[in-house]
Amino acid sequence: MEILKLISLTIGYGDNTISSDINVSLNEGDMVALIGPNGAGKSTLFKTLFGNIKPISGKIYFNGMDLSEISHMERAKMLSVVLTTRPDDMFLKVFDVVAAGRYPYVGMFGKLSGNDERIIEESLDIIGIKELKNRLFNTLSDGERQKVMIAKALAQNTPIIFLDEPSAFLDYPSKIELFSILKTLAVEKKKTIIFSSHDLELLLRYTDNLWVMAKNKHFVAGKCHDLLEDDTIKNYFSINDVENDWLKK
Amino acid sequence: MTKKVRISTIFGIVLLGIVLFLMNLFVGSVTIPFNDILDVLLKESDDSKLITIILNYRMPQAVTAMLAGAGLAVSGLLMQTLFRNPLADPSMLGISSGASLGVGIVILLTGAISGTAVSSFGWWSTIGVSLAAFTGAVAVLFLILAFNSRTKNMATLIIIGLMIAYVASSITDILKFFSQKEDIHAFVIWGMGSFSAVGTSKLGILSVSVLIGLIASVFLSKNLNVLLLGEMYAENLGLNIKRNSLIIILISGYLTAIVTAYCGPIAFVGLAVPHITRFLFKSSDHRLLIPMTMLIGMNLTLFCNVIARMPGFDGNLPINAVTAFIGAPVVIAVILKGNKVVR
Repeated sequence: MEILKLISLTIGYGDNTISSDINVSLNEGDMVALIGPNGAGKSTLFKTLFGNIKPISGKIYFNGMDLSEISHMERAKMLSVVLTTRPDDMFLKVFDVVAAGRYPYVGMFGKLSGNDERIIEESLDIIGIKELKNRLFNTLSDGERQKVMIAKALAQNTPIIFLDEPSAFLDYPSKIELFSILKTLAVEKKKTIIFSSHDLELLLRYTDNLWVMAKNKHFVAGKCHDLLEDDTIKNYFSINDVENDWLKK
Repeated sequence: MTKKVRISTIFGIVLLGIVLFLMNLFVGSVTIPFNDILDVLLKESDDSKLITIILNYRMPQAVTAMLAGAGLAVSGLLMQTLFRNPLADPSMLGISSGASLGVGIVILLTGAISGTAVSSFGWWSTIGVSLAAFTGAVAVLFLILAFNSRTKNMATLIIIGLMIAYVASSITDILKFFSQKEDIHAFVIWGMGSFSAVGTSKLGILSVSVLIGLIASVFLSKNLNVLLLGEMYAENLGLNIKRNSLIIILISGYLTAIVTAYCGPIAFVGLAVPHITRFLFKSSDHRLLIPMTMLIGMNLTLFCNVIARMPGFDGNLPINAVTAFIGAPVVIAVILKGNKVVR
């Protein structure tokens, strides 16, 4: 089932076009990595997709619904985000952060129903951080905080999850753990997952769907193998032939 | 904090509030035996002088202190969460300075123009001062709102607020330069802050105005909670950031304007109480924090008022002189602990 569709999307800030004429679509359960050098516009694309900034032109469809025509609340039920910024409140508990994922579903005073509580517990369980439930968010390690934010995204119960550089600041084992969790969510929970990352070699073990962006170059979507064969990755990252050959293996 | 501890803490705060309220009736330049105060409260006294002192003077002052404390404390909490800045309170946005400028224009300029000090007009001047403070505060508020629609960046808004505060206070200083001595004196007195200027006649309107703001703030708790995750997360969770910020600023500014108009610019309550509440309950849940900041704000201002009214001070000690003693250590503790509410 087609869950996300971008039609001749042009993104940027005001007169400053970052990337133009993006045409791509994603299905349920797809896991795609957004790669590109710094300053390529990955964050701008993310911000546009989750409605933080408006597209310069073009259309974004979630599940057949035009993003510009749905309300904040409807959008909140379509996609959830995991950002590079973190909540930084002294007394915020892990449970509170994950419970915030239920915000679009609860009533005026934010009272959690039994069903909400169950979904929160389930989300903590899937990510494997049940034992952190009553810990203060601020006392966790980077990797643990990352997991809490993913649990929040799960509790939000959206078909699409965006993650902005989720593997940055993590040590190697945590990176592997993170990518496995994302893979599980895509395969078992049928979540459509889009994440940006610089860990090219590592992420290729988990997905071969790539979105490639670079400054002043066209947005390209494709399979990893094809993009390496036609030298797209080489050109976009300005890497040398030795590295390119190494990646092709 | 377990539920049991939480409930007993709340019970303790309420009990302390009642004690402080009674102390407000008890302490003053005229010493009245406690039994006589109870008689007045139970309407069993026929000493008209006592009834006047307690019901027309001390009681309204205590109620004014409670309203001001609750209003300023909630206003500060809203600002701290909205701007994700532990040192944010309405005075930072220039709202208090706007109120001061309004009052300055009335007190100082009328004297310079007509040659008569407004301070000699008596009752009318109080009304004039209140209206002027409100007008000044609301004017700055709308200026802030205009900027708020142009920027999404909260840090920018705080800097704009500070600049507005500087401009407003320098205009006030220029006015002072051209004013008469009596008017400057009256202005300085207002600026020190007092809960005694309200009295029975205006207590009703002050109560209703503050209560409207307090009740409105309760309805914000869900949105404030989601804001703790940061603006971008809150937006993704379906919060309309611009509209929500506007509502929070309006309610927070409204509460400050009302209290400042009637009691003068009272510093530190809006800043200190939210921190005290957060640390006491070790919570960041606004469903708890909002009602508790109200209660603790009331207790703090009642306490400050008792201090200001201690025999020897004759009720002349400015409230601001007392609040600073409690507020300043809290600010220092906050900075030393590096307590970031949210970044």
